[in-house]
Amino acid sequence: MKEKNQKKMNTSLSNKLKQLILGIGLVVTVVFLVSIYFITESEKKNYGMRESEKVLRTLSSNISSDIARYCELSRLIMTEDRVVSFLRADSDIVDISMINDARYGVMDILNVTEGVDTVMVFREDMIMFATNRFTYEYDYEGMTSDTWRKDIYEGKGKAVVSLNSNNVAKKLGNKPMVTIGRAIYDLDSQQRTGLMMMNISSAIFNRMLVDLRYTDICIMGSDGSFLAGNRNLAPYFDSSFISKDIVHKDITIDGEKGLASGCRVGNMPIVLLKVSTYGNEVVPFTAINVLIFMLAIFVVLALFTGSFISKNITDPVFKLSSAMEKNRTSGELKKIDVEVSSSEFDMLENDYNNMIDHVNELIGRLMEKEKTLQRAEMRVLQEQIKPHFLYNSIETIGYMALDAGADKVHDALETMGSFYRNFLSKGGRDIPFSREIRIVKDYLSLQKLRYGDIIEDEYDIPEETENFIIPKLILQPLVENSIYHGIRLKGEKGLISISAYIDEIEGEEYPERELHIIVNDTGVGMDQDKIDKILSADEKDRPEEADESFGLWGTIQRIRMYTGKKDCVKIESEPGEYTRIEITIGAK
Amino acid sequence: MNRALRVMIIDDEESARKLMRAAIDWESLGMEVVGEAASGIEAINIIDDLRPDIAFVDISMPFMDGIEFTEVATARYPKLIIIIMTAIDKFEYARKCVSLPVFDYMLKPMVRAEITPVLERAAEKLKKEKDYWEEQKSDEETRAFEESSTDLITRYLEENFTDKELNLAFIAQHFGFSASYLSRKFKADTGKKFVEYLTDLRMKKAMEIAKGNVKMYQAAAEVGIPDPNYFSRCFKKYTGMSYSDYVAEQLK
Repeated sequence: MKEKNQKKMNTSLSNKLKQLILGIGLVVTVVFLVSIYFITESEKKNYGMRESEKVLRTLSSNISSDIARYCELSRLIMTEDRVVSFLRADSDIVDISMINDARYGVMDILNVTEGVDTVMVFREDMIMFATNRFTYEYDYEGMTSDTWRKDIYEGKGKAVVSLNSNNVAKKLGNKPMVTIGRAIYDLDSQQRTGLMMMNISSAIFNRMLVDLRYTDICIMGSDGSFLAGNRNLAPYFDSSFISKDIVHKDITIDGEKGLASGCRVGNMPIVLLKVSTYGNEVVPFTAINVLIFMLAIFVVLALFTGSFISKNITDPVFKLSSAMEKNRTSGELKKIDVEVSSSEFDMLENDYNNMIDHVNELIGRLMEKEKTLQRAEMRVLQEQIKPHFLYNSIETIGYMALDAGADKVHDALETMGSFYRNFLSKGGRDIPFSREIRIVKDYLSLQKLRYGDIIEDEYDIPEETENFIIPKLILQPLVENSIYHGIRLKGEKGLISISAYIDEIEGEEYPERELHIIVNDTGVGMDQDKIDKILSADEKDRPEEADESFGLWGTIQRIRMYTGKKDCVKIESEPGEYTRIEITIGAK
Repeated sequence: MNRALRVMIIDDEESARKLMRAAIDWESLGMEVVGEAASGIEAINIIDDLRPDIAFVDISMPFMDGIEFTEVATARYPKLIIIIMTAIDKFEYARKCVSLPVFDYMLKPMVRAEITPVLERAAEKLKKEKDYWEEQKSDEETRAFEESSTDLITRYLEENFTDKELNLAFIAQHFGFSASYLSRKFKADTGKKFVEYLTDLRMKKAMEIAKGNVKMYQAAAEVGIPDPNYFSRCFKKYTGMSYSDYVAEQLK
């Protein structure tokens, strides 16, 4: 569990790398695009503003110079003889012919110019004439007040630009007019003799705009009236544009971003307004393309770095790790052999292999120690038995018996020697059946020395069974059991018969040979309950070591282990009559 | 062969030798026990005198074990029937015996029922063959024995008596004579039996060594009788006193 959590918490290095590289790529791309966007936007705006300023300045100066020209013209008119006479004459002598003369005088001058719609000349007594009498509607009442000419008088003879004849004469159709007003002073007396107003048609502005091919300009009066140019742009006007300096404003036109720029022309009541959307002509596509190309290269490099790191660091780490893991799961501590690309991983691999060597060496040493210890313990066990000493003693005593004429003692000793020689032999665990029979025979003849009056034995061992290989010491415990738990308990003479035969049974491929060994005793027998207990393979039925049936139970277990069959031992008994144990062992 | 077969028992356990001598009914087998040796060393020294047909050899003996003795004996007495006795039924020992021309190999402690059939087989085999020891005697005229040969042999003995495997059979083989012929000729020329002559050489040397207050087992090894028990018997027989007494006397 703990390990799992750990794994979850520690995302793998390769995942981290992937995330890092993706993150860097993303951030760089976003930053790049955003900067491109802002740079483009500001560049567009700057460009628009510069463009607008240029146009507005040009236009403004053109208009100023035009107006200036008209001002010059107004000076000529002012000094025209007939106009002067008209102005100088006493009011009572002014008649229609004088007025007409003056008008002609003015018209003579105007003949060489264009754009002037009308020139109005007023005497101080408000006797006036105009070159264009029929397209205007005069406000005679307004004329009587002083307010409309106040500005002009304050100009003290200088030209004063205003709009629409200072509202005393309205052009039919309400066509906007630019009016140049001027107070007229007599050249000799320097007395003010009247004033004049020259209306210039806004058409000249239109012509000028057409000439300059400006379509995104509109010219407004400072009162918000439309003078000339693109009328659609008039709604963008507001009073903030009435300024000597150029004023810029961000606007939206049909959802597109645009720029409105405007300024006043000189100190005239004329405002120029330029409205445009930002064009794409200023966007530095080449530069952006180069940058995008570089960005692409960067991203490719980042991905390459990622795969390089993955190939050279995380992949070898995985390889090493899986090789080590295999070692762990297989349980064998083998050296690993993994192809790794860099010397650092070689170092790691070598270190691991050295460690494996070291661990193996330690394990080897430990095992050697364990073996030595076991050998030592074995030796102690063997020393306890000391067969050599036993045999020599038997021989010595045997000679002593013979020497003293006790042949029977010698016989017994000889049997005992033979028994122990076979019983204690250190040879293989599996022996020929004949040798097991020898052990049993020796054992029984020794036992007969003790209980000679009650034990009898008989054998029926065919020659062909003699070389059959069986596990050592499986018969002797059965015989021992027959004596101690069969015959001796009965108190009468008993017979132990041992017989054997070989049976051929159907094998998987060819007939198999089986040795049947039967030990029969005429002892007290045992009941079914006891038989079941002894035949039980269940550990819980395992008798205590001190228990009388332990030897028999253990022997049966050994035979089962050897044959791999559970039913290799059969026990038949009739209490008080006999016990018959049959062992079946297959050939190996 | 009609005579009784001669049996030699080589075992370091005295009781084992005695038991074997006493327990088996040799007479009914047509055999007699002609001698015993307590080690391979002793056996090599006395075998030429005993001239056995059958040798019981115990494997584990000090100074020269049964295997080593068997190797020497089978080279010098090809007809000798060797029966290995061992209390240690270790596989390696058995294997070593199998590689040697051993007649049979028996486990100790001995059981008459096992030994008797083996001895019967051996007797049967020997009865069929000619008498090896007698055969040698009739061989003796194969090569003229020159007067100088004895001198050569005595000189060889003086130079090589420290070799523990030296005996009559070896010298006979080495110089190309039959053992019995050599034995008789040697006695006629030197006035001593071969084995006596050799033992005398060794004992003279031993007496010399004894003057240097050397321990008996060291002296024994130095003169070519590395079995100190047999050496001690030889020494006493030759000098009339035990080695330790002799050393003590020399030191006075």
